[in-house]
Amino acid sequence: MSLLETEGLVKRFGGVTATDHVDVSIEPDERVSLIGPNGAGKSTFINLVTRRLDPTEGDIRFKGESIVQKEPHEVVQAGVSKSFQQASIFPDLSVLDNARIAALGADHGAFGFNFLKRLDSYPEIDRIARTTLQDVGLWGQRDTTASDLPYGDKRRLEIGIALAAEPDLLLMDEPTAGMSPEETKATVDLIEEVKQERSLTYLLVEHDMEIVFDISDRIIVLNRGSVIAEGTPEEIREDEDVQDAYLGGVEA
Amino acid sequence: MSEDHQLRSDGGTAPATGEDATSANGTEKATSRVPGLGGDEGRIIGLTALAVLLFPFLFAEAPVISDIIQGYAGLTTLILIWGIFAMGYDLLHGFTGLLSFGHAAFWGAGGIAAGLLVEYAGMNLPLVLVVVGTVVGVLLAWLIGFLSLRRGGIYFAILTLAFGQMIYFTIFGPLGPITGGEDGLLLTIGDLFGVIPLNAGVPVLTPLGFIPSWLYLIVGIFVVISVAVAYRVLNSPYGLIFKAIRENEQRAEFVGLNVWRYKLMAFILSGAFAGFAGALHTIYNGAASASAFYWIVSGDVVIMSILGGVGTLFGAFLGAGVYLYMSNILETFVGTLWHVMLGLLFVIVVWLFPGGIWGGIRALRDLLTDLIGGGGSEPEAATDGGEPGARAPADAGSDGGENR
Amino acid sequence: MSLVADLISILLNGLQQGAIYILLAVGLSIILGTLEFVNFAHGALYIIGAYVGLYVAQGLVVSEGYLAEAGFSDLGLGMGFIVGMIVVALVVFVLGLLFERFIARAFYDRPDTDQILVTFGLAIIVQEILRVSLGSTSQPVNQPTWASGSVPIPGVAISEWRIYIILITALLVGIVYALVEYTDFGLVVRAGTMDDEMVRLLGIKLSRPYIIVFGIGAALAGVAGLVAGPLSPINPTAGTDILVPAFVTVVIGGVGSIRGAVAAGTILGITQAALIQTQIGTYNLAPWSQVGIYAIAAIILLVRPEGLLGEEVDTA
Repeated sequence: MSLLETEGLVKRFGGVTATDHVDVSIEPDERVSLIGPNGAGKSTFINLVTRRLDPTEGDIRFKGESIVQKEPHEVVQAGVSKSFQQASIFPDLSVLDNARIAALGADHGAFGFNFLKRLDSYPEIDRIARTTLQDVGLWGQRDTTASDLPYGDKRRLEIGIALAAEPDLLLMDEPTAGMSPEETKATVDLIEEVKQERSLTYLLVEHDMEIVFDISDRIIVLNRGSVIAEGTPEEIREDEDVQDAYLGGVEA
Repeated sequence: MSEDHQLRSDGGTAPATGEDATSANGTEKATSRVPGLGGDEGRIIGLTALAVLLFPFLFAEAPVISDIIQGYAGLTTLILIWGIFAMGYDLLHGFTGLLSFGHAAFWGAGGIAAGLLVEYAGMNLPLVLVVVGTVVGVLLAWLIGFLSLRRGGIYFAILTLAFGQMIYFTIFGPLGPITGGEDGLLLTIGDLFGVIPLNAGVPVLTPLGFIPSWLYLIVGIFVVISVAVAYRVLNSPYGLIFKAIRENEQRAEFVGLNVWRYKLMAFILSGAFAGFAGALHTIYNGAASASAFYWIVSGDVVIMSILGGVGTLFGAFLGAGVYLYMSNILETFVGTLWHVMLGLLFVIVVWLFPGGIWGGIRALRDLLTDLIGGGGSEPEAATDGGEPGARAPADAGSDGGENR
Repeated sequence: MSLVADLISILLNGLQQGAIYILLAVGLSIILGTLEFVNFAHGALYIIGAYVGLYVAQGLVVSEGYLAEAGFSDLGLGMGFIVGMIVVALVVFVLGLLFERFIARAFYDRPDTDQILVTFGLAIIVQEILRVSLGSTSQPVNQPTWASGSVPIPGVAISEWRIYIILITALLVGIVYALVEYTDFGLVVRAGTMDDEMVRLLGIKLSRPYIIVFGIGAALAGVAGLVAGPLSPINPTAGTDILVPAFVTVVIGGVGSIRGAVAAGTILGITQAALIQTQIGTYNLAPWSQVGIYAIAAIILLVRPEGLLGEEVDTA
């Protein structure tokens, strides 16, 4: 059974078709990248999967179960987590608190009535927070206010927050955007490391072709909302349609 | 625990990175504790009890101090009652980031429920009235929260405003005959437990000038309980989730939290405090009326909460104190001008001093600490100020992530 | 009274009451829609308009407050309503410009809730300054002599002034609508609403249209204050009384939509008038008139959260 499957997925915004009958399937343990010129519909696709947007047509199935009726937090509970393009963290809280919130979301279920129970009495939360921060190398900065972190660390925190949910599928929306080469390499290493440790499946949206060809088992190429090519890095490199799509487009 | 890290629960007097900088809406940073005081629950309760004990003395009796203040004991009870209301409100606004302009509905509902019980059911035992007020506050907040939280940001504020007025007009108009309309209901509140008159002095304490009456004592105890409850809520998973919602609501949703339900809970909790305080208000006044529902009263609690300091819990009592001082005592010196002054003060605080009075006190304390030689500062994680950009949108929390 | 006369009564009263809501809501809506500024001080503009207008048109009774204590007696210019309206429109327009320049502009980059708070605070200040200066008692207002007759429809006892209010509102809103829809100024304003960054990149300075939008919105509120004077009490708290229905009208009409504000104001006004005049058996529905407004508003919003003519919003 595929981990994630979309069938005939369509999204229209007024007159624009952002997602045009996309059929995608992602198997457990795969490392998949989603690429395409600007405006190809990559972010829209991600937003459909996370349920931030409602599809106009089509179905999305996770672990065999349709998720198009679910709320975003329910999708996270089911095992899909997303790391945002902009580092979407909790700025005025400490790094540790950022991780604990993510841990609460994961471990705690989506809602409980425990408003009179001390947070200290949830050792699981602290364990998950600690593991997460250690995995992304931010444990030493756990008391820093998140907004004071340098940008690269904010991105790591961002990934950490997405990981705390212990997802089966991690969606990453341009995780290395705006990073220096060193930071990029560190992030890529981090992603690979995390994947090993947690046997994660990931779907990566990226513009940086080097990374994409480096760390993907399979690449899906979108253009104008539809899938124009799919295959291993070598196959994609040679694909004429892909080359056409990028010529004249903005290539990273 | 790693050894290069000093735990904050040492009383928290040493400022950590960014802890005391106030952000655009004066929220406390970097800790799940209430700022300015140590993280110890027992300490907080103890200090609150002490403050409650000393308050009337300092306000009305103490030589020199009370002469300057010109206070009187009866006002202290009223300040505490509004303080409870404002503190509950702070949970919603300061900590969860939701600005409601309709909380008079719950305050009024608690008050009128108590009033109706006395008037029509002959039940005038204070403790019963308070319980009923709280329950009514909870139920009404559930209903209104359910309807108003469908949208965020300013629409939420406007919806709560509208529902609040709707209820005001219902109580005032069609229900006027039962609620006493413009004059309201004049009530005789029963004795505590049926035996102790609320206005009676408390043995030992009253003659010494500490606790003016049994009513004050009861209200004081309720203050301590309320503070303890509020503090506990903030130190529970809820507290962290509320703050997450305030900071970045969208992200909170996308880490798997059912944000809507938590917002509703924040709303209901604040409604509970409001109903509770509203019933106390009826007891204090010996009267209940529709005027408690008018939207300006909602504005009053907002003013108190902000004057005192948003997101500080204790600021609520300071804010209530300043407001009621101005409306009752300053008023005798400057007449209706007091209200203009209050408005000015409020605008200045909103514009320039988002930390409110509590924030000002903390800033002062930090200044003094620095001058005296900076107590044990915690080793800070190396933050050489990377890019200040990429910060999550400041109003993602209160906007409900919607696009306008 | 015949049914037809009753219905006409309700219609006319409703349109008149709705007109006041419309004048306020149109101003609020364009300020909210274009400048994305939430103005809780809109009621203050209304009441300032009322007092200024009354001063110019007839006169203010000075019997309480600082002005009385300072020895002033009744003040006024007695120049009639027409002059009054023109002066009010100009004065409050300028006030609006100043408000935008010195207050609103400082808050564009701050969270919306700060806008609500600061304007609320200013509304309190205005209200209380009026109270301190002139006292809390309502000012006596006479209908303009040229409009104090009754509407010449048999069975309908409605003052002519109400009709004039409807006409004045229609005229003013029509002008504003034409301005927004058919002029270059309006085009810039509408474009700015949709994408202000783009407009700026095109080299168009938005601060001038924005400040004018504020001025127009304010002027409408001020005029509403004066024209409502003969029918609603003019006292310091009248501004805060009217603010909530104004916002409700904006929201159910759809933010930024002038036509929406007109539709919403009409619906609310007629609902209110209908309830005031109706009886079920011997039970008078008048006490429900205000509640009815909010009930209708709630129903509309539950069915269509974006308002009657507003743009769709994501309620997730």
